[in-house]
Amino acid sequence: MLFSYNWLKEYISGKLPQPKKLAEILTMHSFEVTELKRISGDRVFNIDILPNRPDCLSCIGLAREISALLGRKLGETRAPKTEKLTVGKGSLDPVKIKIINHTLVPRYSAILLEGIEIKDSPRWLRSKLEKVGVRSVNNIVDITNFVMLETGQPLHAFDYDKIKGAKITLRMAREREFLITLDGIRRPLREGVLVIEDKERLIDLAGVMGGRSSEIDSKTKNVFLQAGNFERQNIARTVKKMGFGTQASNIYSQGVDPAMTAAGLERAHFLIKDLAGGKIVQLVDIYPKKVLPKRIRLDEGRIENLLGVKIPQKNAVSILKNLGFKQEKPLVLVPAFRQDINLEEDLVEEVGRIYGYQNIPAALPVAALSSPKRNLDIFWRDFVKAVLKESGFAEVYNYSFIPEKEAKIFGKSIELENPISQDYKYLRPSLLPGLISNISQNKKYFTDIKIFELGKVFKKQNGFEEKNMLSGLILGEAFYELKGIVDLLLSKLGISGVWYDSYQQTPQESKIEIWHKEKSAEIKVDGEEIGFLGEISPSLLKEFKIEGKVTALDIDFEKLSKLSSEEHEYEPISRFPSAIRDLAVLVPPETKVADVLNAIETAGGKLVRDVDLFDIYEGEEVGEGQKNFAFHIIYQSEDHTLNSAEVEAVHNKIIQAIEKNIQWQVRK
Amino acid sequence: MELKTIKNKAQKEIEKAGDLKSLDQVFKNYLGKKGKLTLVLKSLAGLSKQKRAKTGQKANEIKKFLMAKFDQKAQHLKRLAEEAQGRERAIDVTRPGKKPQFGHLHPLTQVQKRAEGIFQNMGFSVVEGPEIEDEWHNFDALNIPKDHPARDALSLGKTFYLKEGGLMRTHTSSVQIRYFEKNNPPFRIIVPGRIFRNEATDAKHEFNFYQLEGLFVDKAVSVANLKAVIQEFLHRFFEKSIEIRIRPSYFPFTEPSFEIDMRWGENWMEIMGAGMVHPNVFINAGLNPGDWQGFAFGVGLDRLAMLKYKINDIRLFYSGDLRFLAQF
Repeated sequence: MLFSYNWLKEYISGKLPQPKKLAEILTMHSFEVTELKRISGDRVFNIDILPNRPDCLSCIGLAREISALLGRKLGETRAPKTEKLTVGKGSLDPVKIKIINHTLVPRYSAILLEGIEIKDSPRWLRSKLEKVGVRSVNNIVDITNFVMLETGQPLHAFDYDKIKGAKITLRMAREREFLITLDGIRRPLREGVLVIEDKERLIDLAGVMGGRSSEIDSKTKNVFLQAGNFERQNIARTVKKMGFGTQASNIYSQGVDPAMTAAGLERAHFLIKDLAGGKIVQLVDIYPKKVLPKRIRLDEGRIENLLGVKIPQKNAVSILKNLGFKQEKPLVLVPAFRQDINLEEDLVEEVGRIYGYQNIPAALPVAALSSPKRNLDIFWRDFVKAVLKESGFAEVYNYSFIPEKEAKIFGKSIELENPISQDYKYLRPSLLPGLISNISQNKKYFTDIKIFELGKVFKKQNGFEEKNMLSGLILGEAFYELKGIVDLLLSKLGISGVWYDSYQQTPQESKIEIWHKEKSAEIKVDGEEIGFLGEISPSLLKEFKIEGKVTALDIDFEKLSKLSSEEHEYEPISRFPSAIRDLAVLVPPETKVADVLNAIETAGGKLVRDVDLFDIYEGEEVGEGQKNFAFHIIYQSEDHTLNSAEVEAVHNKIIQAIEKNIQWQVRK
Repeated sequence: MELKTIKNKAQKEIEKAGDLKSLDQVFKNYLGKKGKLTLVLKSLAGLSKQKRAKTGQKANEIKKFLMAKFDQKAQHLKRLAEEAQGRERAIDVTRPGKKPQFGHLHPLTQVQKRAEGIFQNMGFSVVEGPEIEDEWHNFDALNIPKDHPARDALSLGKTFYLKEGGLMRTHTSSVQIRYFEKNNPPFRIIVPGRIFRNEATDAKHEFNFYQLEGLFVDKAVSVANLKAVIQEFLHRFFEKSIEIRIRPSYFPFTEPSFEIDMRWGENWMEIMGAGMVHPNVFINAGLNPGDWQGFAFGVGLDRLAMLKYKINDIRLFYSGDLRFLAQF
């Protein structure tokens, strides 16, 4: 909110610090001053009044705060001139007022003024308003704005002669009603917003903006001036429902002291009498349930206990007194304008901030020397990230939201009610779309791309499922490279029982498949699927406009971290030498390495320490419809040196086992 | 020639040999097929049994001795030759080294880990919670009333809602109550994680970003303690002493509430929101506010990373741009 330095000065007795100094004092003890501007011989502050301090949304309110900050007594704030509301005789019919729901209108005060004259405001008034960004309209409207800015009580002036039947009702709007507001906009009303109706039509959106049909114009003679107190939450809801607000609705939705309606009218009356003439012929004040002042218990020890510094009691007492609190030991009487003060802690805050948080010395806490609990999720996450980093991958973070088109491909996506744009309409059900987009952006600059992300994905699945996934991409045809990385990762995580199955498309999948049917695998650990590995299908890459190939891994991180184990046992190094024999096997092209490996390991038994596939050959030398696997088989015993006869015996056993399959042939 | 003379002469010649070629010549002269010592050994056959044994033994000893000398000298000459060669073809030390293929951790991962480490050293446990939240944990339990302007003022009102109910958490403070539900104070926790705000993006704003929430609950935790812990954290994080200032603010879930600024060059930079846990939060957590007190704070990890690495646009973190990521 904007405040003029000169205007504030009118209410503060004694010297006011220089604008810059004042801004610093306010920032450190009350509210942040975000801007300080020089405007026609004055300084204008832009101040972020905190949302719990509506009492400072006015010049007088802020002046009161500043006085306390300067250590001056509350009584030293200068009050503006007012005029008592005395009702005289007039010719107008009084306005009949009906309030349907008193909880929404805790207090309703108004005066009916007869015989006023509408004209331009004097210069001093126009200039004051303009400095803080309010446009001058005419004397009556300007006075309502001025009083609101000065006292914090919003006022609204109706042209009495436009109130049909001299009767108003304050009620909730119904569905399909509308109102043309002062700004000329036809606004459909939402159910439950508070409106004012005369005998025939709606004339006001209460607490927010008046209606055009009852506005003051140059011919206005009689004014019905309203000072309402409207229930805070309802106005806040109205602003939200209607999608617009005003300075008045901003003040109302933070809460106004009901005592202010009379003060606002008295001040307005003083100004109107001077600038527009007229006399009061009706006074309205409907205030069925008086708000009683609050009393809160304050233990002296509590201040030190919470702030961690001993503030002399004398200081604390005078701080509270300057702010308008009264001591009734052990209670404290809260001034009516401080509706935000409800608890002892609120009082501690008042004392603390005026005393100055900078005066609280830092002190390390005294607490039991307990070591933090270990978070295994985070441990494994960091661990996995480190392995991938060491394997040459760059980590990316993508948005959690994706466009509809991508969401449809991956399925089971959760939709946002209020997306920021169409591009971010769904929660990502997979990390892959983000990563694939990264590839297409980076392709311009890099040929060698290896990226991964570890983050949350979201799916509709018996409610919402939220889990961490680990996904990675390599640009190009890199199934075996990525498989090697998965193997390395799993072995580093202490996971065994790993198996790769050819990918089986599940029937629920969408039209565009994600994985290349022939070039992808399911990763299983002890029979449970933990993720997928393989090339991204050409049709999906087309959707992302990527030419070439992309290989991906997509692992359920929650499963992975559950399977992971830090237990690691040293395997004794055999003292006895090993013997290596090579084995070349001719097999049909569809034969899988694992089948041959399996046969070797089963037949070889304990003496086969390791089998290493070192070559796969397909081509002229082996003829059409065949391929050749070449293995190093390493024989070793834990308890003796193998002699060649022993090695030969096992090796022959393996050869025999392989040749049992008539399609396989050992090349000798 | 006497065996002893052969030995002495050979030894001298070995010592004199300046390169491998001349050493080879010396070897041939003494131990080659027609070498002097070889001839002696060959002539043994013609001697008497007694003499043969005596001379044979001596000749073999000399042979062994000389062989060792040859070996020693050869090694020495080889090393010299190698060194000489090295001097001849000096390597170009300015040529770029061969880069090993190395990956990169995201700067936010690094910053988060760093922050976690500092707080863990101060006894804080790291805790996490869900990104999809309900109104209770994100708002109500934290004393943030519906239709309160604070929701908008704190940009907590800028919430992403889900079509079928639920919302994306607007702060990791939502984990406070979740932790209270399962743990009894005293405790010290930090909660890092991704949060969401429905705001237009620019160089300073993103609609998803990272926050680290801290919560310290004990019998007598005070503002003075908060000040010390934050100072310690910033000091260790930036590895220099950082001046901070605390000024009033408003959060529904803390009372008193603060904004913490740190001195950054000439300016004060807003770095985190903080405060003393509001009694209503204790009540909502099923605790007696008279029994406990504590402080809470929330710091933006993106902001810390931007300051640390002098990054001027928050959107870079979520761009997936390797030209950016490969710098970390």
